[in-house]
Amino acid sequence: MTVNDDNRMEDALRDALCRREAPEGFAERVLARVEKRSFSRRADLHLGSWLGMFRQPLLRWTALAAVSTALIVGGIEYRQLQREPAEGEVAKQQLILALRIASSKLQLAKSKVQHSQDQNENQEEKE
Amino acid sequence: MAEPLSAEKAAEKARRIAETDFAEIVRRHQAMVYSLALHFLADPAAAEELAQDVFLQLHANLGKLKSEDHVRFWLRKVTSHRCIDSKRRRMPPQMSLDEGPEPAVPSRTDDPLLSRRLRQLVASLPEKPRMIVILRYQEDMSAEDIAEVLAMPVATVKSHLQRSLALLREKVTRTIGEVTI
Repeated sequence: MTVNDDNRMEDALRDALCRREAPEGFAERVLARVEKRSFSRRADLHLGSWLGMFRQPLLRWTALAAVSTALIVGGIEYRQLQREPAEGEVAKQQLILALRIASSKLQLAKSKVQHSQDQNENQEEKE
Repeated sequence: MAEPLSAEKAAEKARRIAETDFAEIVRRHQAMVYSLALHFLADPAAAEELAQDVFLQLHANLGKLKSEDHVRFWLRKVTSHRCIDSKRRRMPPQMSLDEGPEPAVPSRTDDPLLSRRLRQLVASLPEKPRMIVILRYQEDMSAEDIAEVLAMPVATVKSHLQRSLALLREKVTRTIGEVTI
């Protein structure tokens, strides 16, 4: 018999193309991939249900109002914090000026006292 | 009296039963799906990846399949279409078919040289005729069943089969000669 014989040719093809065993551990690898995919799908569903709350108009507007209020209050607080050091600087300069004026006044008073003391001593010497 | 299961526990139990059934389906059909991909792609690694993808798709569609025959038909159909689509996108095979696993059933002709040459020639056929030949001789399917799986007319399947057989016979005779089987 030769491969020219139709039946023999078909038998040869059946032999050549017979089923092969799947590689060792094939089913386990498939099941692991299924499990991994199911887990990530469950996680997506959980997140989806949490985010789904915001599809309700009342909750959406409440959340928007809360975020806006937080932003406004935060902005005001930030401005306040920025302004405080500037006010402190002005107060410090005013205090320094006041101390300088007080110091010059004291100096003047001291020199006057000194002058009058010197005059008294001179008068006593003459007498 | 047994305590009734909570909804969560019942769902978990149902999931475990479904997974056990699915594992059984994979073990029952893995040789068929893997072999279709291996004979078509001539690349064991790519064949395993494709076969795994087919079973993942099966898992997602299990609820729609009504019987064992339906599952087998669905697997053949999805594997065939995935093979044809992937071959259009893929580079030439990296390994010879002979580097793959051992045959699931013993050879009838006992001529490894002829079998190897035939596999190489089948792998060189255009995509659709190749899948038709594989379904015909690996799965022993009729032209009508192949036509249903590949969604094409029965006459087209028969014509592809005849032309492919003539081509294979001519090529194998030219390269091996009048081989005694």
